[in-house]
Amino acid sequence: MSTPNASSVTPPEGGRRGLFRRRPAAGTPAAAARDRRRSKQHRRLANVAGLMAALVLTGVGYSALAPGASAADDSTGNPSNAVEAGRELYTRSCITCHGSNLQGIEGRGPSLIGVGEAAVYFQVHTGRMPLVRQEAQAPERPPIFSEEEIDQLMAYIQENGGGPTLPSGDLRAGDLAEGGELFRLNCAQCHNFAGKGGALSSGKRAPSLEEASDMVIYSAMLSGPENMPVFGDNQLTPDEKRSIINYVQTLKAQADPGGAGIGRVGPVAEGLVIWVVGVGALLFGIFWMGTKA
Amino acid sequence: MATNTVPGPRVGQPTSLAGKAAFEVDDRLIVAGPLRRTLNKVFPDHWSFLLGEIALYSFIVLLLSGTWLTFFYDASMKEVIYDGTYAPLRGIEMSAAYESTLNISFDVRGGLLIRQMHHWAALLFVASIVVHLLRIFFTGAFRRPRETNWFIGVTLLVLAMLEGFAGYTLPDDLLSGGGLRIFSAVFLSIPVIGTWVYFTVFGGDFPGEVIIGRLYILHVLIIPAILLGLIALHLLILVKQKHTQFPGAGRTEHNVVGNRLFPTFAAKATGLLFIVVGLCAALGGLVQINPIWLLGPYNPAQVTAGSQPDWYIGFVDGGARIFPPWEIVLWGYHIPPVFWGALGLPGLMFGALALYPVLERVLTKDTASHHLLQRPRDVPVRTSLGAMAVTAYVVLWISGGNDLIADKFDLSLNAMIWFGRIGFLVLPPIAYWATYRICIGLERHDREVLEHGIETGVIRRLPSGEFIEVHQPLGPVDAHGHGQLAYGGASVPKKMNQVGGARRAIRGFFKPIEEPAEVQRQAEIEARGLESEQASRELSSSGRPSEGGRPSEGGRPQDPRD
Amino acid sequence: MSTTDHSRPGSAGGADEPGQLHGGPDDDYGPEQLAAMDRTELDRLGARYDGVEVLHVEPVAPPGSPLDKRNTRQVTLWFALAALFAVAFVVVYAGSGWFLPSWAWSTGSSTWSALYTPLLGALFGLSMISIGIGLVLYVKKLLPHETAVQDKHDGSHFDRVTTGATLMGGLDSSGLPRRKLLAGTLGLLGLAFGAMLLSLLGGFIKNPNKGNPLGTTPWADGLRLLRDDGTPVRPGDQVAGSLATVFPAVPGGNKAYDGAVMLIRLRPEQLSELRIPAGREDFGYGDYVAYSKVCTHAGCPVSLYEQETSRILCPCHQSQFDVTDGAKPVFGPATRPLPQLPITVDDEGYFVARGDFPEPVGPSFWNMGRLG
Repeated sequence: MSTPNASSVTPPEGGRRGLFRRRPAAGTPAAAARDRRRSKQHRRLANVAGLMAALVLTGVGYSALAPGASAADDSTGNPSNAVEAGRELYTRSCITCHGSNLQGIEGRGPSLIGVGEAAVYFQVHTGRMPLVRQEAQAPERPPIFSEEEIDQLMAYIQENGGGPTLPSGDLRAGDLAEGGELFRLNCAQCHNFAGKGGALSSGKRAPSLEEASDMVIYSAMLSGPENMPVFGDNQLTPDEKRSIINYVQTLKAQADPGGAGIGRVGPVAEGLVIWVVGVGALLFGIFWMGTKA
Repeated sequence: MATNTVPGPRVGQPTSLAGKAAFEVDDRLIVAGPLRRTLNKVFPDHWSFLLGEIALYSFIVLLLSGTWLTFFYDASMKEVIYDGTYAPLRGIEMSAAYESTLNISFDVRGGLLIRQMHHWAALLFVASIVVHLLRIFFTGAFRRPRETNWFIGVTLLVLAMLEGFAGYTLPDDLLSGGGLRIFSAVFLSIPVIGTWVYFTVFGGDFPGEVIIGRLYILHVLIIPAILLGLIALHLLILVKQKHTQFPGAGRTEHNVVGNRLFPTFAAKATGLLFIVVGLCAALGGLVQINPIWLLGPYNPAQVTAGSQPDWYIGFVDGGARIFPPWEIVLWGYHIPPVFWGALGLPGLMFGALALYPVLERVLTKDTASHHLLQRPRDVPVRTSLGAMAVTAYVVLWISGGNDLIADKFDLSLNAMIWFGRIGFLVLPPIAYWATYRICIGLERHDREVLEHGIETGVIRRLPSGEFIEVHQPLGPVDAHGHGQLAYGGASVPKKMNQVGGARRAIRGFFKPIEEPAEVQRQAEIEARGLESEQASRELSSSGRPSEGGRPSEGGRPQDPRD
Repeated sequence: MSTTDHSRPGSAGGADEPGQLHGGPDDDYGPEQLAAMDRTELDRLGARYDGVEVLHVEPVAPPGSPLDKRNTRQVTLWFALAALFAVAFVVVYAGSGWFLPSWAWSTGSSTWSALYTPLLGALFGLSMISIGIGLVLYVKKLLPHETAVQDKHDGSHFDRVTTGATLMGGLDSSGLPRRKLLAGTLGLLGLAFGAMLLSLLGGFIKNPNKGNPLGTTPWADGLRLLRDDGTPVRPGDQVAGSLATVFPAVPGGNKAYDGAVMLIRLRPEQLSELRIPAGREDFGYGDYVAYSKVCTHAGCPVSLYEQETSRILCPCHQSQFDVTDGAKPVFGPATRPLPQLPITVDDEGYFVARGDFPEPVGPSFWNMGRLG
């Protein structure tokens, strides 16, 4: 990046440090931020609740029956109730493939132990789960569960399986240019330089990021759904993840200065345009010139 | 050039200022004769003869916009830190070449328009060369005496592709850097001398520090100079040999029927020039091409999904994609599959293309000079061979973008590769067979119409009760009602209104621009006028103008005319 | 036309009569004759000298007729439009940032800067296309449609014979066919001269076998595996099913085309089906394996890692490699497995290389099996 690794031959102790000339991120539109904040409000509460519940419950052992365990959460809703509701949902929609103890079922669905609420958020929010039928890759669909139900499912999985949790705060609070560099190094090979997605082997695909919200991108990096590699917090720090999200969302919102973006997929679309529009129009033109008045 | 024909102070001397000036010029340069010969030059009038001009005009756009760009572009691989207008790249390390391209796009007024115009014109340049080449091929315009011009044309196509590739690489962005990396692998794959070629081209190991500068001088000086020289030669030979024409009434191997250069043809050609420039500008402004700011600077560790070259290199990339993993290893020496897919296959295709006129001459033993074109149906073998080559090319081309097609149409990428592998072998023969059948069918229909006449659509019931369709013979018939016309290589009318048997079609390109009743009246007038016109045409039915106006020809060698 | 006063300085004086300046036609048609002809006759006469006969002229609408007026209006309209678009182009081009909003690009808002280039292109294009349409309509509607025929000559036998005689005469008088020694020397000179010019290309040649640059990479024993930003990697940093691109800890390591390495932490399921090629048993570290990121087909960075199918796909030509099977190619045009980097962990707990790749990285080349 900005300087070669020369200075890093003796690595700095413990610290991750970017060598970027950091600049304040370009101001994200206030409206979008407000929107995001509002939509995340109750989710964040539920996250806190889930986290607290997990901590408390680990302390006293798996005693879901103990009524005193949830005494700490009075104002934020009853996590036991959320977990209970989540169990209900899980038993109804997920247990067939992922098993009664989240252990997964050979040939149907993977184990959910250790995937954490991040995976649940990603899979259920993008409608990939519950699966309609087994195929090469779960397709993206409108979510089946409501926000509240997803929170309950997340609480249940988090409590029983553990794993990465969802972040809080502004998910775009990262350096734009650093995000771009990280995006090109870690993401562009599958999702294309502008996040438009691309083909993988044998009918699988890296989806387009066009519809992906901040949290969906974050949870995907954290959980590595399906064939996507996992980017743990020690590999890409939360700050770096936020930088990437900032870059992706900035690119998506950014107008094309040079006219129609024709899909932002590169030379194939350009070749199509020159043959269909360019050569087509000129053939039409010379044909018109050849006719007599 | 005298603009004045009224006798003046001295007989024949001009009186107007322009006329005097013209005489003064001719006194010094003696250009009136050559100029008149040029202005009087006849060009045949057919829309497909303008395809090559499109290529010429996009080349003009390329020269002008390219020159403009050189004033802002910096062909250096020196590492700089970007601190320009485009925020998402600020603070990123990049080459000076990439930075200057960003500056052209964001900091030079109108720079993005010219950059995009240049790139679109490049795509159009190669595309129009290909369409022009197909026209030449399928109409047999490459036959003697035009083999030289065919060969120059194929060279121009190859040079245009190289020129385009060099230009594509100059911005040093992620996509073009990847393309250059693949190019380096192609150099490396050459048996025996591959590593030497590779080190020579890159001045060391990839990417080195010189390649952008070297490609730049190739792109702006060496290849354009060769292109310009060859285009001039191409046109000179064309003018010297005169244009070919389709067979038709009054058209022979020894004449050209059409419009004189001045003013008709010149005005039309200039009109086309403006339309081509305008199209490039409109595309350059309205459709974004090669958004290098989205791609990012080149970094050997980075890559983007859907890495493709511009369309004209696509078939090379497709060849590299579908070629099976066959590596020849003998005593530790390797010939990798890239060599066959990306160098062997295109080499074979362009070699066959360049040598085709010679091959056809040898195979058909036709060594005569030809100035009349052929209809593709009349040469079924050549047409079918062409269709076969085009099919093979298109399969390679599709394979060059197979990942994007797989993604957009929800197909399996591996299935697309297999489609390419099998399709490349299976589809061309099918195309050959299908084209051959179509050509034969069309030929037979032409003969049938000449023999039996045009279907009138009138059904008549004979006294015997039999129903027959009445046919309109195209000429005199023998005792059996069979036509005596021989096929002359020209289009045979297949509808009654083409022979005046029905009302002629109402004119108008987009919508009718005349009243049907008026057309009817005109037709009657024309019918009367036709007889007198035919009488006047008799005089020159040989196709040559009468020789009467050239009394001074005896003994003196003719002026070189073209 | 020509100077007749020979007494002036600079003229040769004496009987310096002009020769036949303009060729034959001037003898046939004197100035008086030409002056008696009208312009059309002169045009046709000249054309006939160029082998051109005008067969047929389809006249345009008579001047002043309604059709003529309509046609003229139409053509004028297109040229007027073209002028209008051209003026609009200048206004947008020069006016932006003056009386129009600034054209300077900024990420985020600014509609005008996103419209600037499209607007310029559209106006420029429309102006040019309008001129083109105007010109074509001019030809089609306002110029008489003329059909002319020009005859085409074969080469002249006379020219061939006389030119040949001149050339052979020159060769003969040079005496080269006789003077064998001179001719031979000239031939040798040509060869030597060509060799002299060609030898200048030697400046381009670099030896690819000096120091084995193609067989080695910056990797060496004890070099740490660094991320792009220069931080080292511990075994605990990555979770199962992850891939990170790492570079050798040398100056410029993250820019070296052959230095990029994919550090992959395998999932338990992958470990259970892992097949380690013979001789590479100790190349991995725990559940970590490290492979070169440079494709063995054409050198693109392969990195489309599918952690469920264990495949690594190259986006350039779709070669697919199986990480659980020594990164052998399983589909596509690649023929060789991705070279594996032997790794271990140093005293401080960071990943280091145990040496360079055992084989050349990247695309195959001729003598790769015979490097020293």
